[in-house]
Amino acid sequence: MLGSAPRSGDCPGDPQGAAGPRREREQWYRRRHLQRELHDGAALRISALTLRLGLLRHRALPELPADADGPAVQDSIGELQDELHAVLEELRDVAAKIYPPLLDEAGLGPALRGVADQLQLPVAVVASGERFGPAAEGAAYFAVADLLASLPGARAVPGAQAVELGVRREGDQLVLSVSGIDACRAELHAELIDDRARPLGGTVDVANVVGGVRSDASTITARFPCE
Amino acid sequence: MRVALAEDGALFREGLLMLLKAAGHEVVGAVPDGDQLVALLSIRPADIAILDIRMPPEPDGGLVTAQRLRAAHPDMGLLFLSHYAESHYLMRILEIGTDRIGYRLKEKVGSVDVLTDTLTRIDNGEIVIEPVLAKRLVDRPRGDNKDAVAALSDRELDVLRLMAEGRSNNGIAGQLYVTPKAIEKHIANIFAKLGLHTDTAAHHRRVLAVLTYLRSQRTGA
Repeated sequence: MLGSAPRSGDCPGDPQGAAGPRREREQWYRRRHLQRELHDGAALRISALTLRLGLLRHRALPELPADADGPAVQDSIGELQDELHAVLEELRDVAAKIYPPLLDEAGLGPALRGVADQLQLPVAVVASGERFGPAAEGAAYFAVADLLASLPGARAVPGAQAVELGVRREGDQLVLSVSGIDACRAELHAELIDDRARPLGGTVDVANVVGGVRSDASTITARFPCE
Repeated sequence: MRVALAEDGALFREGLLMLLKAAGHEVVGAVPDGDQLVALLSIRPADIAILDIRMPPEPDGGLVTAQRLRAAHPDMGLLFLSHYAESHYLMRILEIGTDRIGYRLKEKVGSVDVLTDTLTRIDNGEIVIEPVLAKRLVDRPRGDNKDAVAALSDRELDVLRLMAEGRSNNGIAGQLYVTPKAIEKHIANIFAKLGLHTDTAAHHRRVLAVLTYLRSQRTGA
């Protein structure tokens, strides 16, 4: 069992040890809020700018004489619009690192499928549409993202076993299971998940016994306190 | 073209309104949420409704609103605009319909030509997907998609065509006078022949299959 021992030096003045997880929860709320601010503020303004540039481009046309720099001006405006698209793409990348918008809007199932798609890994996701609050969802999401990014490129390994991700609720806990993990590397992977689960007061287990038989594939089960 | 517009961001709504007018379209109304769009379109006809995905009445109010509009006005085109090109949203959009429908990034419709081209294609019955997203999805299964579609049997092609019309397994079974179980078997064969492996979620593969088919239709036409 990883993460079951109390962290030394963690909130010494708090006998319940609840201040650490509370602060950690607040961090996730703050991250989600920042991501929403990026979308509702800067991103929307830039999108609206591309429309105004489009209008400018359209209006500039008839006023220019045929032999003037009409097409050059048009092209320049088009280039500015492309540039704004690139700026928005960078903002999207930053937003995804702070708190993925798809996670915020659609939950863990769609967000985790998105990560697997981007990495082109064979990953099966079993998740209901249930929501668990921004802290547990954020921690579970980034735990899986870290883990998947650390896997050897599955396409480079013929017949690589598919990783199966499960998300379910048990009482006030979000239970994340990751199966099909190479047993030799399971402890390493479990640590990655533990780094995200422990600050919230969660726990991580590793098992490589299926139906009483030792297997070369492990299952990592992480529990995150949730809403 | 007669266009109705629903978007909760005032800046973007006003910008789009002006661009639509500059492009020579008749804007029958521009409102800040889905409920007002439904009310507007119940009294004023339009050829196409443009909807922000993320707007009231719900976090993804554009999708909920579009479902109501498709039921009330089956011939009206739907264009979704979003800040994100996500396959998750594309799937939900294809569940609403696979014709007269479009999904584009907000900053990519900022020219009279692109806007009019997008609206015209939707009005012609086409499905218009943000190129970057369509490419991401269709490119994923390696190999020549056109050859893959050509490898399908006639019956499998019938099934895929009905899938592309957005029908469920039971609906397809009803159309072809076979059992849903037989349809499941055909669909498994289609997925295998198109190189859509079992590691992808089932509904995701369904969308990929439909996209592959639509793409092969376009290049073959």
